[in-house]
Amino acid sequence: MRLLSLVVAAAGVALATAAFAQPYPSKPIRFVVPFPPGGPLDIMGRAIAQKLADVWGQPVVVDNRPGAGGGIGAEIVAKSPGDGYTLLMGAVSTHAINPSLYAKVPYDPQKDFVPVALVAQVPNILVVNPSLPVQSVKELIDYARAKPGALSFGSGSTGSTGHLAGELFKTMAGVDMVHIPYKGGAPAMQDLLAGQTQLMFDNLANALPQVKAGKLRALAVTTLKRAPTLPDLPTVAESGLPGFDLTTWFGVFVPAGTPRETVAKLNAEIVKALASKDLADRLAAMGAAPPENNTPESFAAFVRAEAAKYAQVVKRSGARVD
Amino acid sequence: MDLLNNLALGFTVALSFQNLLWCFLGVLLGTLVGVLPGIGPVATIAMLLPVTFTLPPVSALIMLAGIYYGAQYGGSTTAILVNLPGESSSVVTALDGYQMARQGRAGPALGIAALGSFFAGTVSTLVIALFAPPLAEVALKFGPTEYFSLMVLGLIAAVVLAHGSLIKAIAMVILGLLLGLVGTDVNSGVARYSFGISELSDGIGFVTVAMGVFGISEIMANLQQQDTRDIFVAKIDRLLPSMDDLKKCIPSVIRGTVLGSALGILPGGGALLASFAAYTLEKKSAKPPRNFGKGDIRGVAAPESANNAGAQTSFIPLLTLGIPSNPVMALMIGAMMIQGIAPGPQVMTERPQLFWGMIASMWVGNLMLVILNLPLIGMWIKLLTVPYRLLYPAILVFCAIGVYSVNNASFDIYMMAIFAVLGYVWVKLECEPAPLILGFILGPMMEENLRRAMLLSRGDPSVFFTKPISAVLLGISLVLLLIVLSPSIKKKREEAFQEA
Repeated sequence: MRLLSLVVAAAGVALATAAFAQPYPSKPIRFVVPFPPGGPLDIMGRAIAQKLADVWGQPVVVDNRPGAGGGIGAEIVAKSPGDGYTLLMGAVSTHAINPSLYAKVPYDPQKDFVPVALVAQVPNILVVNPSLPVQSVKELIDYARAKPGALSFGSGSTGSTGHLAGELFKTMAGVDMVHIPYKGGAPAMQDLLAGQTQLMFDNLANALPQVKAGKLRALAVTTLKRAPTLPDLPTVAESGLPGFDLTTWFGVFVPAGTPRETVAKLNAEIVKALASKDLADRLAAMGAAPPENNTPESFAAFVRAEAAKYAQVVKRSGARVD
Repeated sequence: MDLLNNLALGFTVALSFQNLLWCFLGVLLGTLVGVLPGIGPVATIAMLLPVTFTLPPVSALIMLAGIYYGAQYGGSTTAILVNLPGESSSVVTALDGYQMARQGRAGPALGIAALGSFFAGTVSTLVIALFAPPLAEVALKFGPTEYFSLMVLGLIAAVVLAHGSLIKAIAMVILGLLLGLVGTDVNSGVARYSFGISELSDGIGFVTVAMGVFGISEIMANLQQQDTRDIFVAKIDRLLPSMDDLKKCIPSVIRGTVLGSALGILPGGGALLASFAAYTLEKKSAKPPRNFGKGDIRGVAAPESANNAGAQTSFIPLLTLGIPSNPVMALMIGAMMIQGIAPGPQVMTERPQLFWGMIASMWVGNLMLVILNLPLIGMWIKLLTVPYRLLYPAILVFCAIGVYSVNNASFDIYMMAIFAVLGYVWVKLECEPAPLILGFILGPMMEENLRRAMLLSRGDPSVFFTKPISAVLLGISLVLLLIVLSPSIKKKREEAFQEA
């Protein structure tokens, strides 16, 4: 009897050790995308998820949790255990803008997360409906000054870079325009095409097909440097508002407390995925390039710098959300 | 010609081996679901939504659509054979169909139901193919003001066309509206009615509500009824109606198809209402000698054609405008969003394969259904002999699994249980769940568009009346409202539903 219980105990220990020795990942991974399906973050997220699933043989399921400018999804991941099985496609809105924009944010962007890898930096472009009689940023500013409150600009959500770009534009140019928030970029684009709104600071991926089809007129890009895919399009900074600089960036985060080896493993696979042909093509189509020297530490430094920058931008523009 | 090109594209998509398989699976499931009492296409589609994650978008939508119109066919089988409408829109078919079965004419009844449905399906598929593109052009003219007015019209139509007490229908719509408001307001980021529960900050999922209110509460109501289900499996030797029968039914089928196609397009319309309306119309316009209520074959032909035509054309607002016209369409919107397709006017132009593939597969599905239904009737009846005490736990388990798999959250199962209890209460109070679901979906959309329209007009409410389309839609809403309040029409509604 004693021998039997010894054998059982030994077997139990062996089994327990075996459980610990399971490599990461040993069960499905949840990839929270805090934005509605179909946008560039979502598409890249799904592409990365597919690549990770192929490499690791575990399902990586994209979970769309839109709302509150990405805050809902971010909160869910902030409160998840740091075991590497919950990822977040965080963005400039969740980790740089919202903490300054919202009165209260249910997570700490610095303390609750560990940045893993930057996925893309996408420029926004200022597009107008062709019916608006302006051909350049300067003409737009003159038009807006002559008709205060007449222009409406749409955006994918309150607190998005599209929204903030508009607010910054208003502050720096001294004009009055009305912000119209939508549930995602697609309905905002639809109303812009129909002429319900007159202009929009949309990300390059969404706006470019419409510009190419002649349905919209592009006036400028919002980054400090010109976009490589549109070398002829001036920047807002060089069109009369020096210092204007906004990009939409997004990257993968995990909850704080995730082991460093897991973070490193994730980073390695994501960087590899981004370098693969189909993802690199998708990034190029968005007007972005895979970031160089993409380590968790460099990404963390980038996030901290962006948070500080946007604190300034939001304060200067005076935008607030309750 | 553009139409032929588009249809050719559609058929290439629909006739691919994979899509044929999913179409077949969908119509098979749909027929099964229609035959089984206690579970309808809403609950089935709700249960299968998580499965559609893994399928390509076109296949997923083809299957779900197949379930929907397949259920119309299946429901009529048990309605005719055993006076048990497996699908709510088959209630009317049971009136004359069961009488025909008692007279030994079950075969012709089933046959005319299948053939009438097939004719209606073909015609309405053509209607979609012809009129969907112009509708899509009109769609861009729909800004927030027009959407708001359209939703007002939809909500009022839901109330008017719903059967039963008017006050209760209005109450259910408003309750649905209130439930739809739960969650974070996307415009301002303020959490409403979430009581601090983070699972509620996203709002209440419609799968949770649909399964609780439709599926589980139906089971609870059924368990309470001590029905004896006699299975009248008489000899079904003649599967086809005679030439005389066919000739008699041609006008009925045409009337039913026209009415069904028209009502299906309207938000608040759909298969259920189409069949009721067609039966009433048939009673008034069929040539004597009339035998309605005692086995007149036209009383089967008209509602069956109408409910199938309505089921098909109710896809038009969904595919062209992104607006659900009935609870099933609301679930289809959910399916599309899961697939990353933002439903709206751009679906037609941006995803022509999806759009035309679905339309072509609707016709293919109708063909499959006719071929399925005629020989397989015997098998369906065998399933009915499973005792209900074994059937309903299986349904409960499926509902729980389905709801859990949406969010991997047990919270959703608790919510579904709460809604099941509420649904049972509503069944007892004779309050219909359909207006609730319509209010639940349309309400938040209405609010979003109202606020946006006011923002765009800088606070000027007259814009709803000065914009032509919006003014027309509000005008029609007013007319519908007057129809509701007019006592003579109210009496006609009660008269028609007296028979049921």
